[in-house]
Amino acid sequence: MGSNKCSLFLSVLCCVVLLMSSANSYSASKLDDEDSWGDDAWGNEAEATEGLQLHGFIEGAVGTRFNTDDLLTDDDFTLAELRGRIETERFYSNSYVDDLRLSGKLDLYADGVDHGLQVDLREAVADFSLNSQVDIKAGHQVLTWGTGDLVFLNDLFAKDWVSFFSGRDDEYLKAPSTSFKASVYGDSANLDLVWTPVFTNDRFISGERFSYFSPLAASQQAAPSGKVNPDEPSKTFSNGEFAARLHGTAQILGVSSTEWALYGYRGFWKQPNAINSNNQPFYSPLISFGASLRSNVASGIGHAEISWYNGEDDQGDDPFLPNNQVRLLLGYEQELVSKLTLGVQYYSEHQLDYEALSSSDGGSIYRVDQHREMWTLRMTYRAMQDNLIMSWFSFYSPTDQDYYYRPSVKYRFNDELHLTVGGNIFGGEQRHTFFGQFEDASNMYARLRWNY
Amino acid sequence: MLKQISKKTILTLATVATLSGVLNAADLTDADEIVSKANLTSYYAANDGRSEARMLIKDSQGREQKRQFTILRRDRTDREDSPDTKRDGGEQDFLVVFSRPSDVRNTVFLVAKNPASDDDRWLYLPGLDLVKRISAGDKRTSFVGSHYFYEDVSGRALAEDTHRLIETDEQFYLIENLPINPQSVEFSRYTAWINKQTFLPEKIEYFDEGGELYRRVEVLASTQIQGYETVTKSRITDLRSGGSTTLEFRFQAYDLGMEQAVFTERSLRKPPREWLRRN
Repeated sequence: MGSNKCSLFLSVLCCVVLLMSSANSYSASKLDDEDSWGDDAWGNEAEATEGLQLHGFIEGAVGTRFNTDDLLTDDDFTLAELRGRIETERFYSNSYVDDLRLSGKLDLYADGVDHGLQVDLREAVADFSLNSQVDIKAGHQVLTWGTGDLVFLNDLFAKDWVSFFSGRDDEYLKAPSTSFKASVYGDSANLDLVWTPVFTNDRFISGERFSYFSPLAASQQAAPSGKVNPDEPSKTFSNGEFAARLHGTAQILGVSSTEWALYGYRGFWKQPNAINSNNQPFYSPLISFGASLRSNVASGIGHAEISWYNGEDDQGDDPFLPNNQVRLLLGYEQELVSKLTLGVQYYSEHQLDYEALSSSDGGSIYRVDQHREMWTLRMTYRAMQDNLIMSWFSFYSPTDQDYYYRPSVKYRFNDELHLTVGGNIFGGEQRHTFFGQFEDASNMYARLRWNY
Repeated sequence: MLKQISKKTILTLATVATLSGVLNAADLTDADEIVSKANLTSYYAANDGRSEARMLIKDSQGREQKRQFTILRRDRTDREDSPDTKRDGGEQDFLVVFSRPSDVRNTVFLVAKNPASDDDRWLYLPGLDLVKRISAGDKRTSFVGSHYFYEDVSGRALAEDTHRLIETDEQFYLIENLPINPQSVEFSRYTAWINKQTFLPEKIEYFDEGGELYRRVEVLASTQIQGYETVTKSRITDLRSGGSTTLEFRFQAYDLGMEQAVFTERSLRKPPREWLRRN
């Protein structure tokens, strides 16, 4: 396995060097030709409305664990894939719809970890204006709202934690869902309504690629025996997800252009953190409400967000259902010195009815803390005319005494070729905590992408 | 002989100088008035405008990158509301929609410019469907990897510098600008050559703390569009690295009648095709 890993890295390195040298010679040949554009880029705008334009990328990615996961001894690689993306969009305008846009994004990838050719439809969406105040976006799409930086409170749209942990591009943290979104724009407030007819769960850590800690088994688990196969909610209308956001901009606390928002969600916990009578994990119902503010503060951006998660366990005394929670996020980001941006967030997750839980779970040593706190730190340094971006993002919980570090370096050889090298490093004092359980998932990765 | 010629030359030059001094009695002498007019010419033509733009970014080794985008602008204080043009030069909004290269395609940038306080800035990243707010502090950082700063695109507030007219010649007013808060910027001063007829700043040179020239902005071409003098090609050169960015504008149009609603989160998530397409 070791030599295998070595040769894969070597071949990736060779590819990088080859592509680098070809990129350089390509540019050098154009040196004399001042102001050359290569093609008539101005034509682009007109073409896009008439012909079919294809964009996308081809990416080779490889990632490997720092230490072998004893439960996944065949999976030393956490990422090994060759991925192709095709994107296209078209615009239509006629008397029935104003500015209809059809957009599609399709990924095909040969996955060396899951062994097989995978298809991931990222987007297949139609968006148009119903009238001067209402926009509709319907179809398979990625949805995001809220103020957090890689921390989500009121954003209960599907995430992909497997991609996030394995070092795929940040874009893959958000998983698409087939949803219908209506946005109503008013003078003082705007309303977004999102209906996802079929519940779309997170792509969570199920024991494949990464192992996880099971409090029930009191041990680390992985596929095949420990693969999480949750019961899915039946596909009925009432099991659809409904999300709403009322938002606007106003002068709040003396700061003009403060963005405010109120959120609501009715659906299910996005991860199967409940257990039914058959000892089977499932997604229990969830209703949440929340609010957020975001504004210029001093010479940076400040944000605050709160949410109340209200599930099935109103008394908190059922250890097989998640308790209700209040979540709070405070954040601030500013440029520290030129080209160096620093962002800090404080996050707290408070379990309600904690006494009822602690008196009903048999004194479990794996019980979550009543109060989980977490700090995140983001540092981004841009150098070489933004062609080199060094980034650090870390999660650290003083209450769980665990961490997740995400260093990365991205280099842009030219408009087409980009190399990203980074790591996902987990650790903690205890094996069962939020990040501590993923210690053996710690990995480093490299991705080389060619955009077209 | 040599002495005679040089004496003659000096005499001639002196005469020309005197004559031109007489001829240009209409020259402005108030630096603040000059920079105010230059600001209006550069950033406040008409009430609104659209333009397509493309950038050719060259690094010190001659390697090239490109950016292409459409830019929409609208002044919040309409000229009709305030015939006194001095009241123009206030708040305005910009929407920048990228079309190339493919990794920034459909990325949208929105700026609400507040000359009296901090700008509000947002970036929409289509891959994540994320509306990211950007702090106002880092205005003098690279605009999408080019040698242009965010501030070069939307304009630097006049009140951030003191302005002094140091020379007036046939063609230009030469204005020296000193930052009021030197800690907030990377330059110690900059000088601007402002065209006396058009009031376009045709050349701006930035000097570092050691007094060394390190950055130059040049207008390479301009033309009249709907009666407004409009830059069609400009360049910024980083004299330290030798890198430069050439910016070309085309398909410009003014007074299209855009509404304030064009410059909101709605346009970040759904760029306003009505105004983006060439008409």
